[in-house]
Amino acid sequence: MAAEPTTAELRALIAEFEPGKGHLVPALHKVQETYGYIMREAIEAVAEQLNTTPALVYGCVSFYDDFRTHPAAKTEISWCSGPACRLKGGDQIRSAMQQTLEVALGGQTEDHGVGFHLGQCIGTCSEAPQVWVNGKVVGDLTVAKAIRLARDLKGSK
Amino acid sequence: MNARLESLIAAAKQAWAAERSSGKVRLTVVLDTSSVARGAEETIAAMRDAIEKQHLNAEVAIAGSWGFCWMEPCVAVRNASGTETVLYANITAERVEEFLQAVVTEGRHVPEWALGVAEGNPTADVPLLADHPFMKGQIRRLMANIGTTDPENIDHYLAHDGYVGFGKALEMDAETIVKEVVDSGLGGRAGGGFPAGRKWDFLRTATTSPRYLVCNADEGDPGAWVNRVLMEGDPHLIIEGMLIAALAGHADAGYVYIRYEYPLSFRRMQIAVQQAYAKGLLGNDILGSGKSFDIVVFRGAGSYVCGEETGLINSIDGHRGMPRIKPPFPAQAGLWNKPTNVNNVESYANAPLILRNGAEWWSSVSTAKEKGTKMFSFSGDVNWQGCVEIPFGPTVRSALEQYAGGMTDGRPCKGFQPGGPLSGVVNGDELDLTLTLDPYRERGLFLGGGGIVFFDDTTCIVDFCNYFLAFCEMESCGRCTTCHGGTQRAVEIIRRIQSGGGRQHDFEAFEQLVKTLVWSNCFHGQFAMTSIKTALKAFREEWIEHIDDKQCRAGVCEGLIEYRVTSQSDAALAEAVAICPTNAIQGESGNYQVADSLCIRCGACVEVAPGAMERRHRFPIEVSQGAAAAAGV
Repeated sequence: MAAEPTTAELRALIAEFEPGKGHLVPALHKVQETYGYIMREAIEAVAEQLNTTPALVYGCVSFYDDFRTHPAAKTEISWCSGPACRLKGGDQIRSAMQQTLEVALGGQTEDHGVGFHLGQCIGTCSEAPQVWVNGKVVGDLTVAKAIRLARDLKGSK
Repeated sequence: MNARLESLIAAAKQAWAAERSSGKVRLTVVLDTSSVARGAEETIAAMRDAIEKQHLNAEVAIAGSWGFCWMEPCVAVRNASGTETVLYANITAERVEEFLQAVVTEGRHVPEWALGVAEGNPTADVPLLADHPFMKGQIRRLMANIGTTDPENIDHYLAHDGYVGFGKALEMDAETIVKEVVDSGLGGRAGGGFPAGRKWDFLRTATTSPRYLVCNADEGDPGAWVNRVLMEGDPHLIIEGMLIAALAGHADAGYVYIRYEYPLSFRRMQIAVQQAYAKGLLGNDILGSGKSFDIVVFRGAGSYVCGEETGLINSIDGHRGMPRIKPPFPAQAGLWNKPTNVNNVESYANAPLILRNGAEWWSSVSTAKEKGTKMFSFSGDVNWQGCVEIPFGPTVRSALEQYAGGMTDGRPCKGFQPGGPLSGVVNGDELDLTLTLDPYRERGLFLGGGGIVFFDDTTCIVDFCNYFLAFCEMESCGRCTTCHGGTQRAVEIIRRIQSGGGRQHDFEAFEQLVKTLVWSNCFHGQFAMTSIKTALKAFREEWIEHIDDKQCRAGVCEGLIEYRVTSQSDAALAEAVAICPTNAIQGESGNYQVADSLCIRCGACVEVAPGAMERRHRFPIEVSQGAAAAAGV
């Protein structure tokens, strides 16, 4: 991911987007894809570009689960919250991993090494119960396996 | 037919034939989200590596999923002479060397990994794929190409009668197209079942322009992935369906709204749209017909209510994805308040089949009221988590046995969820319900977009309802107090019951919530209580056990179970102490105890030291409510 952008860089990045054309969500995606998250300055720049207000842009950012307003952790764990995983002990895996990592759902470890998020089912239910580590499915978990995984990731800075 | 389309198809057929007569063994690997999860990318890399290093007479191609999602990566092997294609399962990277040695170098089958012969004659060691129990009874029309063609190559689609339905529609007037779709009986595939042709007619007869189409690809119901299989397997089917709808409804542009969680679907739809533009099938003056239509592939950002059509429209418009108040309906005021038709992925995907082969052919397949085929995905406590295409009508029991491979470990089916977190739960004694819309409607539930989740007797129904309601609470857009406040209240009550504080009054409170949430603006709030409402009826005894007796028969609910040390001398006890994420097993050698206030009931200790630890009911069955209260719960 790139370093903190300047306002000029942000403006250039989103110059292609226009008001009234359904470009708000695509513009926010572009910022997040480029910088890993949507910073305060980007909210203002997007508002200016799309001829709307930062309040409306921020309202949109906060509405959707997959927009981030802070940088991602080095390792992002998404915990699958789907029904197939739930039936196979997914919730016990969640609480054990959160305890191990000492994070709230949606939070990061203090050193920003590991983030822990709620993930929505993508239909890889044969791998249940599962988490995705930086987007890669780690399936057939048990609680003990999940704790060991969390300890390894937490220890590996 | 349109001459330019004819020449596109002829060229594509030639290209397809040339590819298939390369004289090489063709290894078509399923590359979709399910197979990637099971190592398909590694399989492909290992194959390419081996082919190059060993100079094998073979080539690798990719395709979408046959539906054997639990046995990915699947690989279809077409022999060098092109006389047969055999489908194999579970070809992981570690197996590639041995696999290629057999199927390429030695030119023989590997019967133990084979699912069946997909093309050609059955042999002594490999039966026909069509005779595989999972394939029997399936009628693959939407999935006809999936597994065979490359979803990232428009020529493969064109070579299989792709865009022929659109070509026919180009020669028809809008009214005739609508009539054909009305006559087919195609109903909305997201669960509503509203006649697609009638919807298109609203757009056709609209009085303002521009007009829009929206393809709802926000398949947010957990446990449903049928739209994903279509988008990742045959994306042009959806584009062609939208083109036909555009002709029928005089639409100017269309949006495919894909949930954030489906990056590969997004990429494949984008590639397909780009290729369609390049061939002149989208854009201005399509194939010289004078008709124009644009498609934008739009990526969502993580919101379940954006699957509600007006929430989705707001999301594209650039607002929070909060469902609107209806009326006006999208047909009158949708995207940018212009007439808009919203259909599900599978609904659009059926249109090319109807136009290509006629309404009569299309509807002949189902004897049920609902016409055509339907895709379903099965998951939960079942042996096979796959995706199928079958006519409406079989019983849930037969689908469970035949397409989900029965319950895991042969346990009894306690119940199933017929279509997403809003659809409710059905008791396992009703497995003879058919896979049609009415039986669920009559019971206050609904059959949704195709994701069916089965659960066995190790499931706690209260905990499962917690899952559904917590989902509804989290995904509520916040507009209606009945919904955002009501779901929050329901979750609080369930959690209290799970922690041992259930009260008689809770039944009344649930009833009250059932009655008030139906006043919510959109489907989300209106159906958020369906799971509790139906579970209270279908599994009432279990709720009474939780509330009155403080018993969780499944041993799941936190406040109703406890963990303890059963053997101080068991060698594995040290492992239990070490694995506990809260250091709740305290003491010293010979005298370990579980500190109950620290224990989070995750069960890791019993997993690693089943001889030293146990999970047990916290309250012996005789204990009354009063005694439970005295125990501080």
